[in-house]
Parts: sequence; structure tokens; C-alpha cells
Amino acid sequence: MEIFANLALGLETALSPTNLVFCFAGVFLGTLVGVIPGIGPLAAISMLFPITFHLNPTAALIMLAGIWYGTSYGGSTASILLNIPGTTSSAITCLDGYPLARQGKAGVALLMTTVASFIGGSIGIVLLTLFSPVIAAYALTFGSAEYFSLMLLGLVAASSISGASALKGLAMVILGMLIATIGMDSQSGTARYTFGSLDLLDGLSISALAMGLFGVGEIIASVRRITVKDIDRKGITFRSMLPNREELKRSWLPMLRGSSIGAFFGALPGTGPSVAAFMSYAVEKRVSREPQRFGQGAIEGVVAPESANNAADQTAFIPTMALGIPGSATMALMLGALMIHGISPGPNLITDQPALFWGLVMSFWIGNVLLVILNLPLIGLWVRLLLVPYHLMYPAILIFVCIGAYSVRYVVFDIFAVMIFGALGYAMRIFGWPAAPLLLGFVLGPLVEQHFRRAMVLARGDFTAILERPISGTVLAITALLLVWSIWSGLRQRNGALASAKQS
Amino acid sequence: MKTIIAATLVVLAAGGAGVAQDFPNRPVTLIVPYGPGGSTDLLGRQLANELQEKWGQPVVVENRPGAGSMIGTASLAQAEPDGHTILINTAAFSTAPAVQTDLPFDAKADISPIAMIATSPYVVVGGAQVESETFAEFLAEAQARPMFFATAGVGSSSHFAAELLIQQAGIPGDVVHFSGGGEANTNLMGGHADIYISTTASVMPYVNNNQLKALGVLGEERFVLLPDFESSGENGVRGIDVDGWIGLFGPGGMSDELLDRINSDVNEVIWSEAFQGILQENFVIEGRTSAPQFKAQVEAEMDLWVRLADERGITGD
Repeated sequence: MEIFANLALGLETALSPTNLVFCFAGVFLGTLVGVIPGIGPLAAISMLFPITFHLNPTAALIMLAGIWYGTSYGGSTASILLNIPGTTSSAITCLDGYPLARQGKAGVALLMTTVASFIGGSIGIVLLTLFSPVIAAYALTFGSAEYFSLMLLGLVAASSISGASALKGLAMVILGMLIATIGMDSQSGTARYTFGSLDLLDGLSISALAMGLFGVGEIIASVRRITVKDIDRKGITFRSMLPNREELKRSWLPMLRGSSIGAFFGALPGTGPSVAAFMSYAVEKRVSREPQRFGQGAIEGVVAPESANNAADQTAFIPTMALGIPGSATMALMLGALMIHGISPGPNLITDQPALFWGLVMSFWIGNVLLVILNLPLIGLWVRLLLVPYHLMYPAILIFVCIGAYSVRYVVFDIFAVMIFGALGYAMRIFGWPAAPLLLGFVLGPLVEQHFRRAMVLARGDFTAILERPISGTVLAITALLLVWSIWSGLRQRNGALASAKQS
Repeated sequence: MKTIIAATLVVLAAGGAGVAQDFPNRPVTLIVPYGPGGSTDLLGRQLANELQEKWGQPVVVENRPGAGSMIGTASLAQAEPDGHTILINTAAFSTAPAVQTDLPFDAKADISPIAMIATSPYVVVGGAQVESETFAEFLAEAQARPMFFATAGVGSSSHFAAELLIQQAGIPGDVVHFSGGGEANTNLMGGHADIYISTTASVMPYVNNNQLKALGVLGEERFVLLPDFESSGENGVRGIDVDGWIGLFGPGGMSDELLDRINSDVNEVIWSEAFQGILQENFVIEGRTSAPQFKAQVEAEMDLWVRLADERGITGD
């Protein structure tokens, strides 16, 4: 069997002392930047990118990849304990992770996210190994019509993500889409809402928006109610981490569903771990018999997105390695590390550089095992990091946030953008407007627009052509059903509430 | 403080020649107006390495992506014209201003072209739905079935090359804008669009992997590195005389001595073994222009694209 020979070669490469050291360095740094709110994988990898010039390409890639999937493990720690997402992809974990922590179940939530992350990651790696060529070929058949339908499904699902009313969710999705229209129009080159400012010509940066809304907004809010947010340090003993049978029973299906959703969105270029996490949360809430538990500390709402973002982290390498198509800016950096060393990515990469490709794949296993060790027995270390007094921690985080925002484009304007979005995030928090749908609208809005307009050009202006394509037609039908269902269930809940109000 | 003022006065008194001799006297910033990892970025980083060795001063690469390279170019326009801030860009430098009419700088007055680093003709590649194997067959097929021409974005060089071919060959066709060359190439592979016209560096990896087929090159003659590809000229399509290039630019108002100095340094380092290796990987040949020659070529192309944008109704407003 060729696959076993490949895996053996990969294991041999990954276990070489140099590669092991860089794998550990990657996942350690990944957990660190994941735990510290404000710095995401993109900022961390950009800062470390220059180092890779001096490494051999395999070691360089193993380290960068370690940071990438390591942040997803670390990111949930801050989400659960502080209600601040360590990374964008773990933003959704706040919704149920933090309520769990407030109920004294922080330990259970932390253990279950680590288990979910490992399961998601493992499933992602298996898929990466087995289906790299198949899924890559399948991804090619996705045209703009298919992307448009999928993005629309994402947006409709997103409006029902947050616990608040669907109307508020939808309003925030649209606000996010509107904010995203700032910048150069992708189809005509016209500047929209830039007011002649060059800094706005390329639009507002997602890192500024995410860091502002989630990071700074949370910090401002926490400063005012600082005593509420104490971490129960003694509560996080190994014993407290053990979930009860009920929690285990609730978790295993969401983990598998989350892994599948994550694996799918990871392999699609343009989407990634964040979209995967949002989608799997929305799906769990939809399929749950008790959707009202979500937002109040449902364990499903923690394990599903955490397994999804880790699965997506791994399958994101499918288009990147198999086709040379980076699905995100972070993946583009990984490809850059290869090209710096004269290796051109493409379908031939796996056959031309088997040691590199399979070594990377096997390093993912080692990395994931290392991450479980880093995140379970050593959880105390990361908790201690979060226990640094707030008056020291928060200014430090704000500085990291500013460095992170600045390091993406080297534009001072982005730091101001973070502050403006921080104020907006704080205001939204006070008035109970959900921030997650805004972020998703901001990410998906421009993609929906681009793909729709492109699909229209390709269909020569005939909208029915989108409906006639099998994949996009099916997805649009599902979207319509979902929309009808959420309106109907919303009305039913309202009628139920009215009826019970009358009775009492 | 007095000594600094005195020293400044001395330098100023010495005039332009003095500036050129004493260049570089501090670290040089090389702006790459694209994200890290692309072909222009890699070429820029290699150039930075070579110039650093030659000049004995650090040459730091700074990625300033956005707005089809115009964000990085705008920051160059604001820099001091002392040679310590330079920029590497593709022919997008001459095409983008034809679409983005409200740029905060004058692309001719506020930027000084220094040297052409590398050049190659535009390659016409066909996707999964295209049956033709040669340029002649492609012209016939495109007449019979109006095709979709993919671009790397509105105002990119691939956009204008496509518009120019559609106009000069008199073929029907629609232009579809994608976000970057990678997406354009993938959509060709998936059969969603038909034709993509871009530089060798952008398309040759896919052609060599047999994922896309090369139908020919734009221009009168065939290209020396790819002699098997038919040219548009030999198939009777006239009036296409533009090549893709990668060049070095400085802020407007640089002295002629300084331009010549950097031009000759660049023309020297592009012959180094490491640099030639990168050029070969990208299927490009080294540029061989003086600063005034390069400036004349860039400005002629700018005029061509403005005219074409006008005739084909491409405008940002």
C-alpha cells in the first residue's frame, strides 16, 4: 500500500530532531498567542515569517502550521474564562463557554474543548491524508454561483446564531455587510464610501474589526465590572475537569457534526475556521431539542465550534497544498514560505516533495498530541497567564492588540479603526446587540456580492441559471427552507409566549 | 545641532551629484505593493538581498498591499526622493491609474521609473471548456462561441491585456473580474471562465502541470524562452505591442545622477547567478533599459491604457 509507505516516510521526517523542535516551538507559540486575546494566527505568523528564510522549508512549514492550529486550542481558553475570544475562530465559543465558567464548570469546558479540538483535528488530518486529491478536484467545480449560494446560506444561518432576537441578528449581519462595502468596488474599481481617504481604499481590515469589537469592547466592559470576572483558580483542578455522563452524552454527536462541518468549510477556499465555527454553532442550535439552553452554558455550543475550527485548520491545507490555492491570508503566508525556497505549490507538490508533504501531515499528529499535553496538564500555566491582575493585563493586551492591528498592513489608521470598533463593540454590548453576526456579515458580505455579480456576468444576466446548477440550486433551496423555518419557529415561539402570558 | 545644520548645508551645496555618490547612507526601504508570497514579492526579496550586498546597507522589504498596488505606490509618492525608498511593481503601475482616476498622486509626475528588472510577453491560456490547442484555433472558437475572459481584478494588467486582445482581434467576449491571479487560474481549471491573459510567472506553473493550456503569446514575435507558443502577430492580430514587466520605481523628483546610479546597480545585480535562477523559474528575461528608456516605455503604456479605457468604456466612475 502506497499510503503506508508515504505515512512512514512522513513519520520519519516529522520525527527528525530538528522538525520535532520546530513543531513544539510552533504549537507552543500558537497556544500562547491563542490564549492572549488580540493576537491571532495571522499576526503571529506574519511576525515570524522572516525567520523561515533561514530554516529548511519542511521545518519552516511545520512551525508555521503549528502556530496556525495551536491558536485554535489556545483561543478557547480566553473565550471560556474571560469571555474574550483569543482568536476570531473561537469567538463563538464565548457564547456558551463563559456561562459554563460562571456556573463553576470552567474545568469541564476546558477539558471538553481540548478533547473536541483533538477529535476535530484528528478527523481533519485523516481527511487531509485520504481525500486531498479528491476534495481538491471537487473544489474546482465550485464556481461563483456555488460560492454565492453557500455564502447566502451562511448569512441566513448567521442571523439566527446569537441568542438575541433574530431581528437583531439580521440587523447586525446587514450592518456588517454595509461596513464591508467601504473600499474599492471589485467589479468596477469605483471607490465606495472612502471620502478620498487612501487608507479606506482597501476597506477596513478584518483584524481591526474583530480585535475592536471583541477584544477592546470586552476590555472596556470588563473594566467597569471587574469583580464579576474573577477566575475561580482552584476550580480548575484536574478533578473538576472531568465531565459527567450527561455532558459526555450531549457532546459526542456535536463533536462529529462539528468536525464534518469544519472539514468541509476548511477545504473550501475563502471560508475557514471562523466560518466553520459559526456554522457548526448555528447547526447545533438548529438541531437541538432545547435551543433555549444555548447561550446559557450548553456544552454542545462549546464542543461543536471547537471541533469545527480545528478540523477546518487541518483541511485548509487541502486546497493550499494540493492546488497551491491559499484559502486565506494565513495560508498565503504558508505558500510564501514554500516559494521562498523555490518550491512551487500545485498538484505536483505531493509527488515531487513527498517528504515535505507527508512530513507536514505527520507533524500535525505530533503537534495535536503535544497540544493536548500543553492544554490539559499545563492548563494551570495558561490560567495563571490569565490571572495576571487586570490593571496589568488589560493595558498589555491593548498594546498587543495595537501591535497586531498595525502589523497586518503597517498602517497607523488601523489602530484608530480598532479603537472606533472598540467603542462600537462596547456600545453594542450595552444595548444588547450581538457582535458575532456583524463580523460574519463583514466577512461574507463582500464575498456574496463579488460572487453574485460574477455569477451574473457568467450567466449573462440570467438569474435562473444559478438555480439550474445542481449544487447552487440545492443550497439555495436549503437556504429558503431555513429562512421559512426560522420565521415559522420564531412566530410559534412568540405565539407560545403570548398564550402563556394570557394564561397567567 | 549646529554641526548637523552645517553638515546639511554642505550636503545641499554639493548638489545632486553629491547625493548620488553618498547614496545609500542609511537603510533602504523596498516597498512591495502586494502581499507576501507572490511572484513579485519573491523577486523583490531576492533583489533586496542582492542590492544589500552591493550597497552595504540593509535593504528592508515592506509589503504594502491593496487597491491593485496603488496603496503601496501612493506611499512611495509621499517619500523623500533620495533613493532610500524604492518600490517594485508590475505593469499594474501603468494600468491601474487608467481605472482609478481619483488617486491622490499623479502617476507621471510623482513617480520616477528607475529600471526594468524583468520582462516577458503576456501568455494567453485556456481553461477546461476551451477546445482549441493553438492561437489560430482559439481565434476561430472565440468567434463562434463568445468566451469569458478572466482577469486578476479590475484595472490589473490582465484586465487591460484582455481588453486589448478583444479589441484588436475583433472577437466577442465578456470580461469577468476575479480576486487575484490564483482565483482566475482556478476558475479556468474548473471551466467557469475560458481565457486568462497574464504574465509567464502567473500562468506557467499551471501550464507546466497540464492544468491549463497555453494558446499563444501577445505580440508580433514569438518569445525566446517559449518558442513553441504561437504569437498573436503571426496570426494576423496587429497593434498589440505590450509586454509584461517588473520594474523599480522611486518617488518623483529624483535627480538624474541618482536614477542612473540605481539603474546601473540594478542592471548589474540582475545578472547574478541567484537572480538569473529566479528569472528562469518565472520564464522572464532580464530588463535592459536605461532610466530614461524605461520612463518613456512606462509613459507610452499609460497613454495606451487611458485611451483603451476610454474606447472600451472602462472607468472607475
